[in-house]
Amino acid sequence: MAPYLFKRLGQSVLTVFLTISTVFVLIRMAPGDPAAAYAGPLATTEDLAKIRASFGLDRSVVEQYLLFLKGILTGDLGTSYSFRSPALDVVLERLPFTITLAVAAILITTVVSVPLGVWMARRADTTRELGANVVTIAGQSMPDFWSGIMLLTVFAVLIPVLPASGFATWGGLVLPALTVAILQIALISRLVRSEMAKNLTAPYLTVARSRGVSERALVWRYAMTNSSIPVVTALGTRFASMLNGVVVVEVVFAWPGVGSLVVRALETRDYPLIQATVLVTAALAVTVQLLVDLAYPLLDPRVRLGKKVSA
Amino acid sequence: MSTALLDVEDLQVELITAGGVVRAVDGVSFTIGEGETVTVIGESGSGKSTTAMAVLGLLPDDLAVLSGSVRFGDTDVIADPKALRGVRGRTVSLIPQDPMTALSPVHTIGRQLVEAVRLRKPDLAKHAAEARAVELLDLVHVPRSADQLGRYPHQLSGGMLQRVLIAIALAGEPRLLVADEPTSALDVTVQAGILGLLLELQESTGIGILMITHDLGVARLVSDRIHVMRDGRFVESGDVESVVDHPSHEYTRKLLSAVPVLGPWDEDDTAGGDR
Repeated sequence: MAPYLFKRLGQSVLTVFLTISTVFVLIRMAPGDPAAAYAGPLATTEDLAKIRASFGLDRSVVEQYLLFLKGILTGDLGTSYSFRSPALDVVLERLPFTITLAVAAILITTVVSVPLGVWMARRADTTRELGANVVTIAGQSMPDFWSGIMLLTVFAVLIPVLPASGFATWGGLVLPALTVAILQIALISRLVRSEMAKNLTAPYLTVARSRGVSERALVWRYAMTNSSIPVVTALGTRFASMLNGVVVVEVVFAWPGVGSLVVRALETRDYPLIQATVLVTAALAVTVQLLVDLAYPLLDPRVRLGKKVSA
Repeated sequence: MSTALLDVEDLQVELITAGGVVRAVDGVSFTIGEGETVTVIGESGSGKSTTAMAVLGLLPDDLAVLSGSVRFGDTDVIADPKALRGVRGRTVSLIPQDPMTALSPVHTIGRQLVEAVRLRKPDLAKHAAEARAVELLDLVHVPRSADQLGRYPHQLSGGMLQRVLIAIALAGEPRLLVADEPTSALDVTVQAGILGLLLELQESTGIGILMITHDLGVARLVSDRIHVMRDGRFVESGDVESVVDHPSHEYTRKLLSAVPVLGPWDEDDTAGGDR
């Protein structure tokens, strides 16, 4: 277990390192000048040079990169150009909002998609299952900016029961979380369905049925437990990707999370802020993924105990 | 014969397949009394396993149409499929074909065995149910029985798993076992042990056995009566001696001639042994 843990930790650190390094290079290759974005259209050449120097952009890219790496080790990710405060603080301030949104979305996804998937599997190949299939495929095909705006139109404008934007009350969480969840429900419920369908026809289930185990126990205790590994993995992966900021949904609902922050940082060519956002969210996503991988042995004794056979 | 544990009369099973409706079992009748072993023998596709699954009501409702009658005592489970709930595990239990896939891989042996014990006796306390589980494992000669409760199916060999499955089948104290090719997935050396165990259990408990097999050697060893099945029908029925020694049907003769015969030098060796 310990060597595996160290190997996976090493991989995680490497992943984060490669991600931030790529982003570091890419944003500097992209057109646009942070100084110009900062100073506005009336700035003179000298002004721009002065600003560039104050941002440290007059140094070579290699020098900037080494300074950036040194900063990571000391916990200093530079000062955000537009917020004029430490970039890391700005990101950490927004992070709880994104985490809240992601947790709410993954909870909705789990609560809806597991029973839905089980229901579809038990009614496999019936007309009703076909109907559910059409609905989930529709959910999977709907772009989130569209479903977000539709939900907004219905529940904030036509029937104004929920706030349209921001996070002033818990009610404000409902529409963005639902928007994120729609796509995930479509994906996860279809996964639950296929895994359950496989396990509901497995020999061990027939044998358990033959000894009088109730249908409820067969579905939930036997088939669901056996289906849980791929489902938990998928939920973990979806959750990790949500932590990177659900950019479109955060923008549509003016949600104060890292997704909308990164959009603003990109618009203003705020290099330190972009770098800090990517570093934090990548580290978080990789950590969640690592936790999911470490949960495998808990769910599957074959992984935990190895495949040795003895009499 | 005294009272019939199982009385099957004119059982027909029609399976709905992609290629149309197939009559997999076409009007078979047989009975099994206490302490009896009745064997249905036939090649793959003859309908023998479908017969066993139909008796247990394990064919999917939407894909199989059953008619005739399957009576456990006074209960006809074809006329009243809901009665199966009271019959499965209590009156009749299944010993499956492939022990390696017949237990949930993520639950321990103990959990699945204790569950089976408690299905029969829901009021039994946990430690009492565990004690009963160990007893059952001892009964089927699983070594270090108490240690096995915490183990998972993948940690046991096929032969041991089949013993565990027999213990699980016995947990409900059934009067009849349906053994669906119980040894065909096992090594030859292990097969004899499992068959010996079934006969031993029959001797001590008087349990009836419906044996499904394609192996004439198995049939000859364990059966009181044999039904030879082909294309969904019994082509020949009778007690072991008459079917094996004086087969009347062409198909049975073919089946018998397909059994490898030991060379004459073996016979000579045995006959002229060390006496």
